[in-house]
Amino acid sequence: MPEYKGMVQPARASITELRKIHIEPVPDELKPGKAVEYLDQLRKKFRSFVLAMESCTKCGLCAENCHTYLGTRDPNNIPTNRAELIRKIYKRYFTLEGRWFGKLVGAEDISLDVLEQWYSYFYQCSQCRRCAHVCPFGIDTCEVTFIGRQLLHWLGITPKLHSTTGAAMEKTGNHSALPKPGIVDTLEFMSEEIRDEFGVEVEFPVDKPGADIMYIPSSADFLLNPYTLMGAGMFFAYIGANWTIPSTVTEAGNFGFLFDQYSTQRGNVMRLLNAAQELGVKKIVWGECGHGWRAAKMYIPTLADRPLRWPITHIHDEVANLIRNKELKLDPLQNSKPVTLHDPCNYVRACGLNENMRVIMNACVTDFREMNPHGADNFCCGGGAAILFDDPEMYQRRIMFSKKKAEQVRATGVGEDGDGILCAPCSICKAQLYPMVEEHNLGVEVKGLIDLVGRSLVWK
Amino acid sequence: MKLFIGQILPYFTVTIFILGMIYRLGRWAGAQIVHNITLSPWPQTKGQAALRVGTEAFLFRNLFIYDKALWAGALLMHFALLNVLIGHLVGFAFFGTQFALIPGLGITTELSKAMSDCFGSIFGIVLFVTLLYLLYRRLAKEAAKLVTKPSDNLWLLYLLVLVGIGNIMRFVPNYHIDYVLVHDYVTALILFCPVVHMELLNNGFFLVHLLLVQILLIVFPFSKLMHVFGMFAERYIVNRVYHDPAPGLPNVDVSAARQAELGIPDGILQGRGYK
Ligand code: HEM
Ligand code: SF4
Ligand code: SF4
Ligand code: SF4
Repeated sequence: MPEYKGMVQPARASITELRKIHIEPVPDELKPGKAVEYLDQLRKKFRSFVLAMESCTKCGLCAENCHTYLGTRDPNNIPTNRAELIRKIYKRYFTLEGRWFGKLVGAEDISLDVLEQWYSYFYQCSQCRRCAHVCPFGIDTCEVTFIGRQLLHWLGITPKLHSTTGAAMEKTGNHSALPKPGIVDTLEFMSEEIRDEFGVEVEFPVDKPGADIMYIPSSADFLLNPYTLMGAGMFFAYIGANWTIPSTVTEAGNFGFLFDQYSTQRGNVMRLLNAAQELGVKKIVWGECGHGWRAAKMYIPTLADRPLRWPITHIHDEVANLIRNKELKLDPLQNSKPVTLHDPCNYVRACGLNENMRVIMNACVTDFREMNPHGADNFCCGGGAAILFDDPEMYQRRIMFSKKKAEQVRATGVGEDGDGILCAPCSICKAQLYPMVEEHNLGVEVKGLIDLVGRSLVWK
Repeated sequence: MKLFIGQILPYFTVTIFILGMIYRLGRWAGAQIVHNITLSPWPQTKGQAALRVGTEAFLFRNLFIYDKALWAGALLMHFALLNVLIGHLVGFAFFGTQFALIPGLGITTELSKAMSDCFGSIFGIVLFVTLLYLLYRRLAKEAAKLVTKPSDNLWLLYLLVLVGIGNIMRFVPNYHIDYVLVHDYVTALILFCPVVHMELLNNGFFLVHLLLVQILLIVFPFSKLMHVFGMFAERYIVNRVYHDPAPGLPNVDVSAARQAELGIPDGILQGRGYK
């Protein structure tokens, strides 16, 4: 059902697909009542949500700062209006002013139509937090989107993309449903590629007992972004690390974070910790994935059901640290095409990776051009929170959501001669931008940051 | 009417205001900060975090960065409002002589009264004008229009009327009210003494002003005006100190690895002969 009363919507998971992620859909006639019940439960738990519901002054500042509104001019894509889709229900059922002065303050009764609105607009939000970043109060509409999606999920309204990805993770330990033999094969193939292209010997140890470092790549790096994984392998080989990739968790992403922060996200966290314990590693290093890194860095401490024994850092942190200590020899001339950096939202507004990415960038390319705005102020690619839907209506929206990004890239001029590089070190950013740079004719190739590191390592 | 607005209602107002605040703030406090959702780049010390929140609260930092016009209007409005509120309290307590009480400035009582008058007039007007601007903005600017609910406009209208009446009392000599009268009135209220007979309550403008203020206070805990506290509560969640875990990989010695020429064909193969 890609459209409902004029609203675009992603294709939904079937009952069978929902059952694979342990959800029993609520029958339609019970949905509105259950929605209010679940909302009551959630609002009593999350203060960030309560404050988003209760302290917005409707100043409108967030409007021009959300790429979804900029790209579509759909009023419901203004962050505070997106939140209002739940707020009107929240007011109606949980506040005095809403119960007594309904219309005046914009309160509304719950109905199936409202749930359909939620489904449409909470899956147009990329949870990028630019609204929280600019709001005078720091109101985080991303928190509202989390709650909205959680609630819909409990009702049995979940996109096919998210539910099948969640199920694949549970079954195989990655989003791409790659079994262990496939992983090992792919890694051997990458070793050969590296030997052919860079002339160096790099092994990708899988499930190596006694390894010190457990590296968690994004599974998209096995298929779509091989140079990111190859870059990571070259980096670890270069520094002589005793590292391994666990075959049970070959996924830096955690879709649970995006639509089910209770069961799905926690399940993935426990799976990771089990892997670390079994392999007896000392440290976990994360690969390039924006939401996955936020989920790991900021949420594992509050989701792990047991004491955390492993420090977790991002591969960018480690590379930047070695660059700062002058331990890596990098040759920027290996990356001499003009490069601009798309800051993955989760890195710069939630994980503080801003500076480290620039330390790396400046060390391994010759012609780095910042986009405007950049860093914590940068705009989202338009695919965040895995709204990478391929249904025609949603795909059209994705083009609109990336309009701002396209303008920014164009303004840097890196693609003028058709040979620029758009560095976007996050798997979802990459998946969104591969087609989008073509749609917008930007003349750039999309790459990860570790790709550039691998290419510029000086081995001898 | 005088009996109700001037004598009885104030006690209800204060009670509802206090209970309402407890209810609303309690509702916020009841929910938890479940996960760490602080916004990066992070403050590194409590002082930096306080500075960030302070610049947002008192200088409207984000408005300044992202919307200068709104910043000017909103900051002026709030600044005037703050001064008007303080002015009310201080004025009724010291009758305009407050500046003379500051030691070392040599301000005379006469001068202090003149200053008090002057500030009061300026802020009264600024408040009115900036409220008008904010209302205009809500009706004229696309983004603001799209997010506005009727209650948002009503609040601005309400404050305009409230402030307008205050200004009338200040600028129209016939309706002017002396601080002393208000002082006596408030004191009597606090002491639970009868006040209905007071001459002050015969001033229709004062009576309406007083009524509007009381309605404002009654509704305050249930309204968007709670953003005063909401802002601190929200920033307490998103502007927290956070320290990155230390980088550094276990058992990695890059210079040894490079000396061993790891990865280079015909060199020592990776993982062998090297720990
Ligand atoms: C530290 C305290 C406060 C801060 C940081 C603050 C901040 C803000 C901000 C950033 C806005 C949005 C800009 C705008 O729409 O004008 C706003 C709006 C508003 N504030 Fe405050 N405020 C504070 C205290 C108060 C108080 C005590 C009142 C009491 C009446 C108040 C009344 C209003 C009103 C009526 C609006 C809406 C203006 C409009 O609709 O355009 N504020 N405030
Ligand atoms: S910027 Fe913040 S306060 Fe202003 S409308 Fe958006 S969410 Fe509300
Ligand atoms: S999180 Fe991003 S996409 Fe979602 S409302 Fe905020 S600015 Fe828009
Ligand atoms: S996909 Fe990339 S840019 Fe877009 S929200 Fe994630 S991190 Fe942001």
